[in-house]
Amino acid sequence: MKFGTTVTMAWRAIRAHKLRSTLTTLGVVIGVAAVLTFVILGASLQAGVIGDVSPDDRENVYGWAAPPDTNGGPGAGAQPVFTPRDLAEIERQPAVAAAYGFQPVPTQTLSARNETIPRGSGVFATGPAYVDAEDVAEGRQFRAGEREAVLNPAAAALFEPNLTVGDVIEIQVPVVGSVNATVVGITADSQSRSPFEGFNPSPRVYLPTDPYVTDVTQADRTRFSLVVVEATSQGTVDAARDQALAYLNSSASDASGFGEEALELRLRTSLELLDQFQELFNVLQNFVVGVAAISLLVGSIGIANIMLVSVTERTREIGIMKAVGAQRRDILQLFIVEAVILGVVGSILGVALGLVAGYGAVELVGFEELVIPWEWGAIAVVVGIAVGVLAGLYPAYNASKTDPIDALRYE
Amino acid sequence: MTGGQGGGEDAADASAPSTATAAGEPVDDAAVALVDARKTYQLGEPVHALDGVTIDVPRGSYTAVMGPSGSGKSTLMNLVGCLDTATSGRVFVDGADVGAMTDRERTRVRGEKVGFVFQTFNLMPRLTAVENVALPLVFRGVAKDERHERAADILERVGLGDRLEHAPNELSGGQRQRVAIARALVNDPALLLADEPTGNLDSETGANILDLFDDLKAEGNTLVMVTHERDVAERADRIVHLLDGQVERVESVADRPGRQHGDAPARAGDGGEGA
Repeated sequence: MKFGTTVTMAWRAIRAHKLRSTLTTLGVVIGVAAVLTFVILGASLQAGVIGDVSPDDRENVYGWAAPPDTNGGPGAGAQPVFTPRDLAEIERQPAVAAAYGFQPVPTQTLSARNETIPRGSGVFATGPAYVDAEDVAEGRQFRAGEREAVLNPAAAALFEPNLTVGDVIEIQVPVVGSVNATVVGITADSQSRSPFEGFNPSPRVYLPTDPYVTDVTQADRTRFSLVVVEATSQGTVDAARDQALAYLNSSASDASGFGEEALELRLRTSLELLDQFQELFNVLQNFVVGVAAISLLVGSIGIANIMLVSVTERTREIGIMKAVGAQRRDILQLFIVEAVILGVVGSILGVALGLVAGYGAVELVGFEELVIPWEWGAIAVVVGIAVGVLAGLYPAYNASKTDPIDALRYE
Repeated sequence: MTGGQGGGEDAADASAPSTATAAGEPVDDAAVALVDARKTYQLGEPVHALDGVTIDVPRGSYTAVMGPSGSGKSTLMNLVGCLDTATSGRVFVDGADVGAMTDRERTRVRGEKVGFVFQTFNLMPRLTAVENVALPLVFRGVAKDERHERAADILERVGLGDRLEHAPNELSGGQRQRVAIARALVNDPALLLADEPTGNLDSETGANILDLFDDLKAEGNTLVMVTHERDVAERADRIVHLLDGQVERVESVADRPGRQHGDAPARAGDGGEGA
C-alpha cells in the first residue's frame, strides 16, 4: 500500500467525524498553544531586558555591599561603605577606565521657569562617565565639580515647553533645601541606563556626585552604597571586576572592615546580572513547559481513547480491508497515520493559537518588541507527531490483529 | 475425532504429495482443492466444524454448497477464502498449499486469488462505488489512475458504468451487490466466493445477480456459492451437500432448459468417504 494513499484514506476517516476529531485534537492544541504563548512572552521580555544592556553597558561592573544572606536584584541590601578614595583607587587599576558612586537623590519637587512639578524619584547623582558622551543628543555630559545636570527627554518633557540646554532647574531636597543645576545636556532616549535605575523608561535627571553628594555629607565623610566601575573595554570587564574586588577586599580599602557587620561585596557585570535574571526566568519557563507537558499527555490520552473507539467502530471495515488483501502493516499504518494526523493538526492549530495569544499577551503587557522563537514552533510540530505515534500505536496494533472472520460478522 | 480417520489423516499429512487428491489427479487442474480438511474449535469440548472434507473445484466450474446451519458451510468458505487455516488436512488455492503459508502470504493470496461476495455486501461506507471496487488494488500498490481505470471498466461490465461516484448508501441492494461483485473481480481472481449472495435481495434482484453469475461463469470464472435456497443452488453445475462437517453427497444438476454445462465436468473428490 502506497504511503500517499494511506494518508488520503486516514484523512477521509478523520473528516468523516469532524466534531469528534476537533475535540480530540483540542488537548494538543491547548498544550502547544500554552507553551508557545509563554515562550513568546518570555522571549519578548528577555529581548526587552537584553536590549537595555547596550554595548557600553557591557563594559560596566555594578557593585554594592550587602549582608551575606540578602536576596534580590542589583543593589538589594546595599550599605554605604565605599569612600571617594576607594573609587579613586579602583580607577587606578589597569583594566578600569572609571569608577564612581551612584546615589539616588531624594527629592520633592523640580522647578524651572516658574513651573514646579512634584517629583519623588528619578534624580541620580553619579559620575560624568555614567551618561556616555555619544548618548547625549543635545549639549554635553555634565562635569564633576560643576552644578550641572543632564536630563533624559522624558524629564525635559515634564515642563511646558520642554527644557533645553541652558535652562536652570531647581531641585527641592528634603532637609537640605533647594539646589540649582544648569541643564547642559539632553540624552537621546529615556531608556534605563543601568540596573540601579530599574528597567523601565521614565523621566530622569543626572547630576554629578561632586558637588551634589559631597557638599551635603562633606567630602571626607562621603560613603556610597552603590558604585559603578567601567572597564577599559568589553573584553576587560571581568578583569576590571576582579581587580576592583581584589582592591576592595584588601586592607588598603576603606570599605573593607567598615563597621561591625560582615558585609559581602558584590560586584556584578551587567551580563552576570542578566544571567541571574535569566535563571529566574528559566525556572518560570520550565514550570510552564511542565504544565503544558501534562496538557499534551492528557491530549495524547484523548487521541488514544478516540482511536480505540474508532477501531472498534470500524471493525467491519477492517475486516473488509483484510478480506480484500490488506496486510497487517497496511492496517497498522492506516491507524497510526490517522493518529499522527490528529497530533500534527492539533499542534499546527496550537502553534497558530499560540502565536495569536502570544501576540495578544505581549501587546497587553506592553513589551516593545515581539520576539517569536520559531524553533519552538518546530518543536511543537515534532511533539505533535510523537504524541500521535504514541497514542496511535496501541489502537493501531489492536486493529491490525483483528481477525477478519470475526470482523466481517461484527455488526 | 469421529470415525477412525485419525491415523489416515496423519499419514496424509506426512506424505502429502503436492498434487494429491483422493482420486490422484494433479491439483494444478483445480482452482480449489481440499484434502481431508478438518477444522476443530475448542469450545469447552472439541467441536468439529469440518470433519474430513475432500473436494475439488475445477477451473471454470460453478459449485453450490448447501447445508443446514452448523453443517460447516461458513468454515468451508473461510478455509477456501484463506481467511482461516485447517486444523489438519490440506487446502490448495490455485495450486498453492494455504496451510504452509505465513499470515502475510495467505493475505496476499486472499487479495489476489480470491474474490469475496457477501450476503451483506460489505462495502466501505465512505468510499464511492469505483473506490470500493479499486480497494483490493490499493493493497497491491497499484497507482491511482490505473486503479480507477480498471475499477471503472469492471463496473461497466456489471452494468454500473453510470454509478461510479455514488456512495453505497446511494445505491439499491442489487446495485450494491454488483459493486461487491465488481470488487471481487478486479484482481481477476482464480476463484469467486459468494456467501448467500442473494440472501438480502428480493427475488427479482436476486435473479438478476444470479444471471450475472451465469455470465461470469460463461466467461470462464470459477464460482463457489454458499446458499440454503434450493432454486438458487440449482443455477450451479453441481451442489455439494454438507451435513455435520462432512460432505453428505455431491449432486450433479440436471440440464436445465436453455442452459448447457459447457466443458467443466461436474465432479467432486470422494469427499463422502468419511460419511
